Amino acid sequence: MTLRALIIDPRDNVANLIGPGSKGAEVQCTVERQKETETVRLLDDIPSNHKFARTDIQAGEPIVKYGLSIGRASKAIRRGEYVHVHNIESNRGRGDLQAK
Amino acid sequence: MRDFFYGYPRPDGQVGIRNHVLMLSGTLYANPTCERVAHMVQNTIPIVHPLGRCQIAPDLAQTFRTLVGHGNNPNAGAVIVVDHFKEQGCTADDIAHEVAKSGKPVEVVNIRREGGAIEALAVATRLAVEMNRKINMQQRERTGLNKLIYGFNCGTSDVTSGLAHNRCVGWVCDRVIEAGGRALGAEVTEMMGGEELIRARAKTPEVAAKLLGMIERMEKSILACGVDLRGSQPTGDNIAGGLSTIEEKSLGAMQKWGSKPIVGAVDYAFPIGEESGLWLMDTPGHGGESITGIAASGSQVMSFSTGGGHTINHPLMITMRLTGNRESWELMKDTMEVDVSDMFEGASLDEAGERLFNEVLDLCDGKMSKAEALREFNAFAINRCGPSV
Repeated sequence: MTLRALIIDPRDNVANLIGPGSKGAEVQCTVERQKETETVRLLDDIPSNHKFARTDIQAGEPIVKYGLSIGRASKAIRRGEYVHVHNIESNRGRGDLQAK
Repeated sequence: MRDFFYGYPRPDGQVGIRNHVLMLSGTLYANPTCERVAHMVQNTIPIVHPLGRCQIAPDLAQTFRTLVGHGNNPNAGAVIVVDHFKEQGCTADDIAHEVAKSGKPVEVVNIRREGGAIEALAVATRLAVEMNRKINMQQRERTGLNKLIYGFNCGTSDVTSGLAHNRCVGWVCDRVIEAGGRALGAEVTEMMGGEELIRARAKTPEVAAKLLGMIERMEKSILACGVDLRGSQPTGDNIAGGLSTIEEKSLGAMQKWGSKPIVGAVDYAFPIGEESGLWLMDTPGHGGESITGIAASGSQVMSFSTGGGHTINHPLMITMRLTGNRESWELMKDTMEVDVSDMFEGASLDEAGERLFNEVLDLCDGKMSKAEALREFNAFAINRCGPSV
C-alpha cells in the first residue's frame, strides 16, 4: 500500500504522514486542493500521523505548516527527515530563555 | 440543511435544549446537599465546586458571575441555590437575586437557616420535587438557530486535530452562523502563534486588539513562571500525538473557527452579545475551565473535538465528543459521539461536517449524549484569577 501524506498549504515545508512510516519508504504527498503529488523518501521511522520535512530546512529557518510559522529548526533538517520536538524550537511561551 | 431545533423557550428570550432543575452550590460547604438532592430527584443536576470562600474580590466576582451564568443558562428550567451560612459577595441570596431576573423559578436554601444539613436536605428535596412537577409540563417548541449558541472546544489534541475533527467543528460553526446563530469558542493559550490569522478574521480592529491583548496577558503570565511552556502546552499527550510547539497546536485548534468573521470577544464567563457570528472568550486551554466559561455565557450545546479521545462533559451544557483518530475512537467510543476518521480515507469535509451538524441538532432536540446516559458529570471548573486567602 502506498504511504500518503498531506501538505496543508503550498507554502508548508513539512508534511503530515497518514498512518505510520518506515525509514526508506516512499510517501506520496498531496498538497490540499491541488491535483499534483510529490514523492518523498523517508529518512527516519515516523510514528503515526507525525511530520517529516518536505524540503531541506536550514538551522534557524521557520518550520511552516498551515502556511504559517510553527517554530524554527534547531538544527539542519534534510528532506524526508522526521520533524518533531528534537529539531523544532518553539518561539512562544519560552520563560526558560527569558530567565537565563 | 436543517435550520431549527425543538427547545424550551424561557421568559428572557433564551431557549433551552433541556429542562432541568439545577442544584447550584454557592460554596463548597453546600456541595453535599446539592449532590444528594440530585441523586434523589429525577431530572435534577448538581453544580458543585471548591470555591466561594476566602477569595480576593476580583476572583470571587468571577466565581459569582460563573455561578449566576449557570443559573441563567436556558438548559436550567428552575434553580435552587444552596449555601451554608453567609458569604459576603457570593451568597445564595445574591446569586438567586441575579438569576431571578431571567424570570425562571428560583429558590434559596440556607443550611444554617433551615436548622442544619438534614433539615436543609429535606427542604431542598421537597422544592426539587415540586419544581420538577411544575416545569415538566412545558413542551418543546420549534426554534430557529438564531437562538442557538453553539459552544466548541478541543482537548488531548494530536496531529489529526487540525486535519480532521477541528475542521468539522469549523464547518458546523459556519452553518450555525449562516442560519443566524452564534458560535462561541475560547482557549486563549491556543491562540498563541495565530495572531496573523486573528488580525485577518476580526470584524473590527477593536475586536482584534482585545484578542491580541488577551494573548499577550496569557503569554506574560506564562513567561513570569520562568519555565518552558512545552510539556504544559503542548501537553505531554499533545507531543506524543505529534504536535511539536504551541504554535502548531494553536493553528490546528483555530481550524475550529470556520471561516466567518470574529464579531466579538468577551472576558471569562461574561454573556456574549446578540450579534450572529463567531465569538471568542478569554479562557485558558484547561478544558474544564474553558467549557465552564462558555456554559456560563448561555451556550446550550458544546462540541469537544479530540485527537486522543476524551471523557469531558459539562453537567448542564450538553457536550458531545468527536475525533478523527480511528484508534482513539475504537478505544473511547463509550464516551464519544461522532467519528470522522474516514476523512483520512476519502470522506469529504462536507460529509463529515454534516454528520457532526446532524448530531448537534439531534442533541438539541433531546437525544441523550453518552455522558447524560451515563449520568457522568466531570467538567464544571471555575477559572481563578487570584489566590485563596
